[in-house]
Amino acid sequence: MSQTRDGGGETGMESLAFSNVALLFGAAFVVAGVATSLVASRFGAPLLFLFLCLGMLAGQDGPGGIVFNDYRVAYIVGSLALAVILFDGGLRTRSSSFRGVLAPALMLSTIGVVVTAGITGAVATLILDLRLVEGLLVGAIVASTDAAAVFFLMRSKGVQLRRRVANAIEIESATNDPVAVFLTLVLVELVLAPRATGWVEVSLILGQQALVGAAIGVTGGLALAATLNRVTLPQGLHPLLVVAAAVLIFALASVLQGSGFLAAYLAGLILGNRPVRAFPTILSFHDATTWLSQIVMFLVLGLLVTPSTLVAYALPAMALAVFLIVVGRPVSVWLCLTPFGFSRREKTFVSWVGLRGAVSIFLAAIPTLADLPNAETYFNVAFFVVLVSLLVQGWTVAWAAGRLGLKVRDTGPEIKRLEIDLPGQLELELVGYPVAPSSPVLAGAVFPSWMRTVMIVRGGEVLTPEAAGELAVGDYVYVLAPPARVGRLDRLFATLDGASAFGVGTFSFGGDAAIEDVCTLYGLHVPADLKGLTVAAGFAERFEDRVDIGDRIAIEPAYLLATAIRDDQVAKAVVEFEEDGREGAGGIVGRVGDKLRGFLVERRAARAAAGKAAPGRRPEAPAE
Amino acid sequence: MALVELLSPDAIAPALKVGGKKQALQELASHAAGLTGLDQQAIFETLLQRERLGSTGVGEGIAIPHGKLARLDRLFGFVARLEKPIDFDAIDGTPVDVLFLLLAPEGAGADHLKALARVARVLRRPGVLDRLRAAHDAAAIYAVLIENSEPAAA
Repeated sequence: MSQTRDGGGETGMESLAFSNVALLFGAAFVVAGVATSLVASRFGAPLLFLFLCLGMLAGQDGPGGIVFNDYRVAYIVGSLALAVILFDGGLRTRSSSFRGVLAPALMLSTIGVVVTAGITGAVATLILDLRLVEGLLVGAIVASTDAAAVFFLMRSKGVQLRRRVANAIEIESATNDPVAVFLTLVLVELVLAPRATGWVEVSLILGQQALVGAAIGVTGGLALAATLNRVTLPQGLHPLLVVAAAVLIFALASVLQGSGFLAAYLAGLILGNRPVRAFPTILSFHDATTWLSQIVMFLVLGLLVTPSTLVAYALPAMALAVFLIVVGRPVSVWLCLTPFGFSRREKTFVSWVGLRGAVSIFLAAIPTLADLPNAETYFNVAFFVVLVSLLVQGWTVAWAAGRLGLKVRDTGPEIKRLEIDLPGQLELELVGYPVAPSSPVLAGAVFPSWMRTVMIVRGGEVLTPEAAGELAVGDYVYVLAPPARVGRLDRLFATLDGASAFGVGTFSFGGDAAIEDVCTLYGLHVPADLKGLTVAAGFAERFEDRVDIGDRIAIEPAYLLATAIRDDQVAKAVVEFEEDGREGAGGIVGRVGDKLRGFLVERRAARAAAGKAAPGRRPEAPAE
Repeated sequence: MALVELLSPDAIAPALKVGGKKQALQELASHAAGLTGLDQQAIFETLLQRERLGSTGVGEGIAIPHGKLARLDRLFGFVARLEKPIDFDAIDGTPVDVLFLLLAPEGAGADHLKALARVARVLRRPGVLDRLRAAHDAAAIYAVLIENSEPAAA
């Protein structure tokens, strides 16, 4: 099949061969990247870190031996991937989650970034022996909390945090990139041409970036939603249109001197919060696209770095990373969040989740593209800082959330949900659920008023809800529900992990009982944000409008567990106590110990029963 | 802590006759007052106030009324079996016939919780309820509870 044309034969064949090899390697990388996720889920290692490592292995110092030094290509790939990831982040953010956290999140993403960049930059100046401007540039490069890494962590680790904390971090990470990008660009210019740039000028440019980005993002999002709903496209083209439009919005904003990152996020946010046709398909397609973007971006960045030169920067970069994690970020978090009444634990956690990621590496490529002196330093230091952050913070985030008591649920329930888009209308979606054993629906949970049961499939037979009567395990229930609320139905049909909630040993409180009364009763310390609230209001505070059956509020060593919901409010909650972790993993030692104790108690009891003729035996005061 | 530490063999009423929830709490308060020397009315008020927050009927015919009393110096347990089950607004709606009263000193803190958890755990053990209901006198009830009690891992 060779098309040998006059003279050009050899080079033509060569480039054909090259593209085949390139395809082979490219595809092999993506396959390897996907396979890496298995390793990651087994060892809990941060997946993004593994992607980076995979890229380094394939690179010039690793067995792959691929020499890739094209910063320009890396920059384009990175931009593209970030646009998709940020758009996806917006798409999955409910606008209700902004309530109450918009101001603190915006503080973090503006002043927070500047403060982090300033402190870290000053230290970088000392550690790396740079001029102040150059040091600050290093600070700016590593100052932003990475949205890709944070979104990824929140959604893949299955950690559900208190809404306020989770929302603040998500919004911060989504909106702080423009500030970091901007700081970096200004500083690059200052290094190149050290002239007195007035603060007025600087803030004008920043304002322009934000305004243009926001305007294009909002208009783009609205236009996209309108287009999707009006124009009838062939099946399967809707999601493609959305991805293309996301990149278009990003690029348009960037070309017009606006912040493309902000525009992409806002466009996603708007689209995700409007009734849109084919939304389930769009979401699932976006899932795949976002994954691909993550893999490709981190692989390319891993390829770009030269590990052998990286080693030379290891010590100072490590020092900088530690400083950033332990001092730089916490200081700016404390400054930004203290006025908003965040607790010490919350601030500690927000500090800890300040993951650095692709944006930093990507920004570190700018000095090279701009031919700055010491360009290599910026890139390698930033790369190292990101590695440390991904590894240390990424690996410990779930643990930290648990330690600081900010985790509200372990994992979302494993549930298969079938979403079917209904052509012709947008307000409702058809969803199918299998009924799981010991799920709230079987325990007589009341269906929310906004949900309508359409049919029940039992043993291959389609039944109307009336004909089906009581639900049974294995039934498939098909319901109509507004797309935005569908997620809340999951808990109704899933196996409730705290199935004992309806068993013996739990005390039930009405939604109108004061949390303070409950706490006083058991000598529990009332969490600061729940003082003066009723049980229902407390759950509303912690979970906003998304409280579900099975949600819990930890009040060590007990917790409140919502067991009944009426009109989106907790109608009943039980107090459960954890009895010294006895039910937990005791291990062999624990079990042997239990047996021994059991034996001793039996003997003691036997003696007590035998000696009951002498009843005056005073129960000892609890010795602890 | 084991149940022996908070339940003495004489703190058991094997066949209490009551007509309703309030009367059951009255009876428990009176028995507890006799054994602890505290004011009956104070105990009753404490229990009643607790029930107002939510019923202590935890299901399967069991109720664990409880509360804190300033003048108490130790955890105090009292078990009553009712001749006839009464309505207790329990979590599962089942009428209650086994009551485990647990009073704690004001500063009991976590011990109060641990004791409650222990009581619930003992009553939840398979077979315990059936044997309690089949037991005819205080000694038998005491034996069933103590046999099935075990200390929590410290």
